[in-house]
Amino acid sequence: MASETDTSAGGGEKPPTCLTRRDFLLSGSGAATTIMLASLPGFARAQEPLALRVAAYPRKRLGRISRLQLNQPVEFHYPYEHAHCRSFIVKLGVPAGAGVGPEQDVVAFNALCTHQGGLLSGMYLQEGAFRLAGPCPIHLSTFDLTRHGLIVAGHATQSLPQVLLETDGDAVYATGMMGLVYGFSSNLPRDWKEGG
Amino acid sequence: MTANDQVPLPPSGARVTTTACDYCIVACGYKVFTWPVGTEGGGLASQNALGVDFPAPALSGRWISPSQHTVVRIGGQPHHAVIIADPDATVVNRGGNHSIRGGTLAQKCYREDGPTRDRLKTPLLRVGGKLTPVSWDTALGVMAGVSKHVLHEHGEMAWGMKTYSYQYFENTYAISKLAFESVKTPCYSEHDKPGPGNDTAGMDDAGLITFSASYEDYSLADVIYISGTDPWETKTVLFTEWMMKGGAKLIFAMPRRTTGVAWAERNGGLFLQVKPGTDTLLHLAMTRLILEQGWQDQEFIDRWVANTWEIDTGFGRGVRNTPWQWRTTWGRSGAVSFEDYKKWLLGYKYAELDRAAEISGVSAGAIRRAAELLSKPVSGKRPKASFCFEKGCYWSNNYLNTASLANLGLVCGAGNRPGQVVSRGGGHQRGWASNAAAYPITQSPEKLPGRRRKEIDLDRWVEAGQLRFAYVIGTTWAQAMAASQELAGTFRRLTRGNPHQIASADASAAVEALKRRVDSGGMAIVHQDIYLVDPIGSELADIVLPAAAWGEDDFTRANGERRMRLYSKFYDPPGAAKPDWWIIAQFARRMGFEGYDWEDSNDVFVEGARFSRGGMLNYHPLVAHAKQLGRRPHELLREMGTTGIQLPARLIKGELVGTKRLHDPSNEIGTPEGPTVHSQWLYAFNTHSGKALLHKTPWEIFADFYERITPKGDEVWVSNGRINEIWQSSFDDQRKPYLKRRFPDTFVEIHPQDAKARGIESGDVVEIWSDDVLVQTGGFVGMEGEDLLSFQQLEQKGHIRVGKGSCRAVAVVTDAVRPGGVFTNFLWPGSPVNSLVHRVPDPITSRYRFKLAKGRLRKVGESPYKRSFEAMTFAPRPVMPRAT
Ligand code: SF4
Ligand code: FES
Repeated sequence: MASETDTSAGGGEKPPTCLTRRDFLLSGSGAATTIMLASLPGFARAQEPLALRVAAYPRKRLGRISRLQLNQPVEFHYPYEHAHCRSFIVKLGVPAGAGVGPEQDVVAFNALCTHQGGLLSGMYLQEGAFRLAGPCPIHLSTFDLTRHGLIVAGHATQSLPQVLLETDGDAVYATGMMGLVYGFSSNLPRDWKEGG
Repeated sequence: MTANDQVPLPPSGARVTTTACDYCIVACGYKVFTWPVGTEGGGLASQNALGVDFPAPALSGRWISPSQHTVVRIGGQPHHAVIIADPDATVVNRGGNHSIRGGTLAQKCYREDGPTRDRLKTPLLRVGGKLTPVSWDTALGVMAGVSKHVLHEHGEMAWGMKTYSYQYFENTYAISKLAFESVKTPCYSEHDKPGPGNDTAGMDDAGLITFSASYEDYSLADVIYISGTDPWETKTVLFTEWMMKGGAKLIFAMPRRTTGVAWAERNGGLFLQVKPGTDTLLHLAMTRLILEQGWQDQEFIDRWVANTWEIDTGFGRGVRNTPWQWRTTWGRSGAVSFEDYKKWLLGYKYAELDRAAEISGVSAGAIRRAAELLSKPVSGKRPKASFCFEKGCYWSNNYLNTASLANLGLVCGAGNRPGQVVSRGGGHQRGWASNAAAYPITQSPEKLPGRRRKEIDLDRWVEAGQLRFAYVIGTTWAQAMAASQELAGTFRRLTRGNPHQIASADASAAVEALKRRVDSGGMAIVHQDIYLVDPIGSELADIVLPAAAWGEDDFTRANGERRMRLYSKFYDPPGAAKPDWWIIAQFARRMGFEGYDWEDSNDVFVEGARFSRGGMLNYHPLVAHAKQLGRRPHELLREMGTTGIQLPARLIKGELVGTKRLHDPSNEIGTPEGPTVHSQWLYAFNTHSGKALLHKTPWEIFADFYERITPKGDEVWVSNGRINEIWQSSFDDQRKPYLKRRFPDTFVEIHPQDAKARGIESGDVVEIWSDDVLVQTGGFVGMEGEDLLSFQQLEQKGHIRVGKGSCRAVAVVTDAVRPGGVFTNFLWPGSPVNSLVHRVPDPITSRYRFKLAKGRLRKVGESPYKRSFEAMTFAPRPVMPRAT
């Protein structure tokens, strides 16, 4: 699979095919639950329009669904090549939230624990019908991979960031992120300038 | 809408305030960054207040998760607030470690456009059945009017308070002043028990102060016996920062397998999956094995355990000279010398290994292995054993469990040395340092035979219709108490069920209505809190008062190693909400009581200081020292930041120093300087002789009750407790979006066998119910020899009534629990598992056996989470990678 990975990060290979679903994932249904009422002066932070934000993520070809082996995570980097962007894609064998593929069981997540950045690489657990990441080697947090990376038990204050996937036939693409990657103040690169 | 994939960074000029976590006993240090909305810091170290280049490295403590940011008002203006565990902390949560509870503190803050917008903002008066906003003046006027009437007509025995014990030194001092100095009422009880007194009396009787240890001790121990709690779940950073890193082997005694247990098993430790309530037998059997093998720490025992002479000549808590006389003269459990104890134990049938194994459900092999790990010398060297216990131990079989655990600890040589301690793990933080006056025990209606006084059982007093006015602060009376639905029923009858209700917002008319209510045998209730609590506030209270809390005033509190910090104010409280000390003062002034003219919380802190002398939380030397320096004590403490000072505070060579460990003979003592108090328990045990006492702990004292409440037929044990992701009644968590996603509802862990037999699957909604909830009634004054000290006597004399209870929860089918026993959250709003808890307190200590409920299970439907990917998960919690 790794050899299949298209490492040329960057969007624009093709227009997004499924903005509605990503739109839903990025914003709704408890996935990102900031409650915003009628905004009070000064309170609501200026947000970029969601569609723009989604489109801002690179679209990266990860490989072919049919090549994934059951319960064998494969690593890649997303949204760009940075140590914190270490991610994994895995075929769970059970349907999952935001799962793609014929069985809706292919999901991808960032591999850094959202507690204090412990590396969850290789910490994939199959417990009966459950599919978990963890326990984190640092303080033992565990995350449910069928439920958008929700914390099962532990200390992380947000879910494991989920890499949004799309398929085009057998090909699978990373197209966005749900949740902030450990260590970042924004998932998308920002060019910090001295004095800026 | 937000993508939740970015957070604003505090600019380098952001204001930094130190505080500590508001939740569990560990009290991790936190930093709050605030700055006006409209600006943001940058990702270079020079551009942000964290002084780090983003992305922040792993374990740097300098990352901000989206849950750690909010917007608050400061001086009326919107400000960003970022609240993170202090990355510079050198104590407690070194380097910024934290749990999910503290890690989401930002989401707790009042935010008018967020889920916390329902904070109480104005006083409310129930007019025509509807809670109606009124002024402070009206609310306090009505409260004082009816209070004066109750005190005048019905006496102080009819006026009571039910409050938290932990919401900061300033507030609890004000509570003690009102209750014990001004009103002088014995009708007082704290949030988790029916009356004042010791929580872990068996430990106290042994001479062990239950927060004697320092967190460092848990990293110095070779083996730690952990009873009735998993610190990973409920004292998280104590586990992740101290126990895990120290490398001690951990022995867990609990009915339920948790993450800490799984970690212990993987690292050479042991799990004793004890049946609820039977720990005493484990302790007895292990102690006996140790003595039989000669593995006890004889050198320590010879030096530190009281002998017959020291006990019987009155230097110990002997027959003639003891504040706990009624306990020891009872004869069956009195203190004995080591030799007498050994003789008793070796001849005692319930200390036999096989019998203990059979009743406790723990295999003889495992009990033997635990005794070995705790005490068997390895290549001639004794292991350093420590003991950490909490509510599974002492809220189940209160006196016997704590007394027998004290014995086990002492024979292993633990109690007063580095890495060899016996201590509570703790639940909430220690927020009560000073009593303005002593609890008026002579006024208490409770008496044991022989005219021995006992603190009130306030729940039983309410049930008896004796309380006419209740001032309830920051607690969920009735759910928090045993047989809670029965209790709530009584409240309902005495308040809403009474014909006299307030019909107009006019203060004098309201007072008249409530006077008629109390004179007709009813009750008036004032509830003071941060949210409207169901039912005590939403349904029962006549007056609701809005409190300002964490971050909304300057407060002080100590943690489980007695470390005191300033919890700084950093933002505006909502609406007209006021800190509890202020509300109490305003009420007291209207009552005509004197000495309530505090200007700010620092004034209360200063006044309370001298009343803390002699206690383990003595902070008086800090206040005296600040005065000498011409400083405000709160300011001096603020400078100590998240490090604070471990109490008791002392002055040594003019320097303010803390106390790492109690009972430790190596504590530097010398001549007491200035206001320093050298209590004997600083360097010896807390008994008259300074030596620890062993007590016999006969199982028979408990056996009749235990036999009566043991589940029969299709009943199961219903145990309850805290869980990592939920704090207390979830009052904050249900308003924290992320935690609400994890636990949108309460859960009940059911063993697959029990689930299958009842057709229950994970995600189903289950009712847990019982029509056999025992409730003790009447019997306030004991007359004869052993009056009312055994369950059989209570039953024979007609003091036991049978009630009902039920709650519901979402099933999680897991083999983490024993077959025949379920586990659920202890205090979920609207689903009180305490309704199933028998309201028959430990006769020796008046403490409820919260963990020993029973009930039946039935499926009532499917929760929306059963087939959803969005919220809640039913995955097993204690997972470890398979050993390779
Ligand atoms: S371990 Fe306790 S004190 Fe520390 S952050 Fe968690 S809840 Fe707060
Ligand atoms: S870094 Fe993963 S649990 Fe702490």
